[in-house]
Amino acid sequence: MAWEKFNPNLAAHDLVQDMKWNPEIRKEFKQNEKAVLDRYPLLPEERKAIEERDFRKLYDLGMHPYLGGQLSRFIWGNDAGKGAVEASNKLVASLQGHTRDIPKS
Amino acid sequence: MAQIVFAAGAPHAPAIVGLFDKAPDDSRKVVTDTYAAITNELRAAKPDVVIAFANDHLSNSRITFYPDFLIGTAAKHSGPHEWFQEWIGCRDYTAKGNPAVAKSLFAGMTRRGVRMTVREENLKFDDNISVPVTMTDLDKTDITLVPVLQNCTVPPFPDAERCFEVGHALRDFIEKDLPGNMRVALFGSGGLSHEPGGAKYYKIDEDFDRRFLELCAGGDHKALLKEITVERMEEAGTGGTAEVLSWFPVMAAIGECKGRSFGYTGWPSFRCGIGGVIWDLKTKQ
Repeated sequence: MAWEKFNPNLAAHDLVQDMKWNPEIRKEFKQNEKAVLDRYPLLPEERKAIEERDFRKLYDLGMHPYLGGQLSRFIWGNDAGKGAVEASNKLVASLQGHTRDIPKS
Repeated sequence: MAQIVFAAGAPHAPAIVGLFDKAPDDSRKVVTDTYAAITNELRAAKPDVVIAFANDHLSNSRITFYPDFLIGTAAKHSGPHEWFQEWIGCRDYTAKGNPAVAKSLFAGMTRRGVRMTVREENLKFDDNISVPVTMTDLDKTDITLVPVLQNCTVPPFPDAERCFEVGHALRDFIEKDLPGNMRVALFGSGGLSHEPGGAKYYKIDEDFDRRFLELCAGGDHKALLKEITVERMEEAGTGGTAEVLSWFPVMAAIGECKGRSFGYTGWPSFRCGIGGVIWDLKTKQ
């Protein structure tokens, strides 16, 4: 990821911030992701990338990777000992298209 | 003249708490030795206040309206913020704030040409402040805390040279604006190499980390600024490694001092290189 693609205008950034700051939105995202996404002025390809869990595409569109990492934790889990590891594994696999760099333990 | 009595820099990676039990012995030892030294020497220095610079990680402001240095002026600092509790796995805490010093810092830095920003409410702390506070049990002491949450990740952010200017202004502020008998500790929270959320999430740049620790401990600021550029930080892990910039105002404020580090580990599952430095203030050139 290089900063030349960074686009601070993407609505996906606000989506992540709002979920981070409001547990109700996180809950709704789990139950009805479409309803949450409908409230943000996401570009069509930005929305599609979120729906398809295509982080490579999101970053190519200019999403900030720190917030991308947090988005992966809303989707795949956030807890210290277990879920956050799963989230980072799936994120890296999405970005690289392979799992070779992911530690076994 | 107020006095700087302690200065250190150390990482705050959440995995040094959450995955500590799963880490190999030598990696655990680095975490334990680093934070034990900081804990003991901080207490022995008997500071009234610790001013802690730490990456904000986009925790408190939207990306479209993002401050470079955000001072928390609250009387108490509680954390971690709700969503980060399960992620870090650390205990809750409430550290004592210092509204007088925090507001004085804001005014003092403004007068010295450094744009800072303040918020009176409890800031949302993630690992940036929560890990060092709980690792040192700062909240169980009488030492007050002034957090300065720094933009290390939303470009364009203040670079190494700018952080040195900030640190020089900070030193002048401490010497001239704070009460004469006040004892001040400085802490830079962040690093070492990591790429949170990026394709190199599990890549740690051990060469960068070891050289960075060596240069910090060496106390030669010219050499540090020559080698440890933002470009080199980004190469060592985009969007994460640059939070070592939180150490730069601390180093600039204390001047060229030698430091000690307490080992280094690049265990991949920490997803961050780990090592810290405590500076020996009596060795100032």
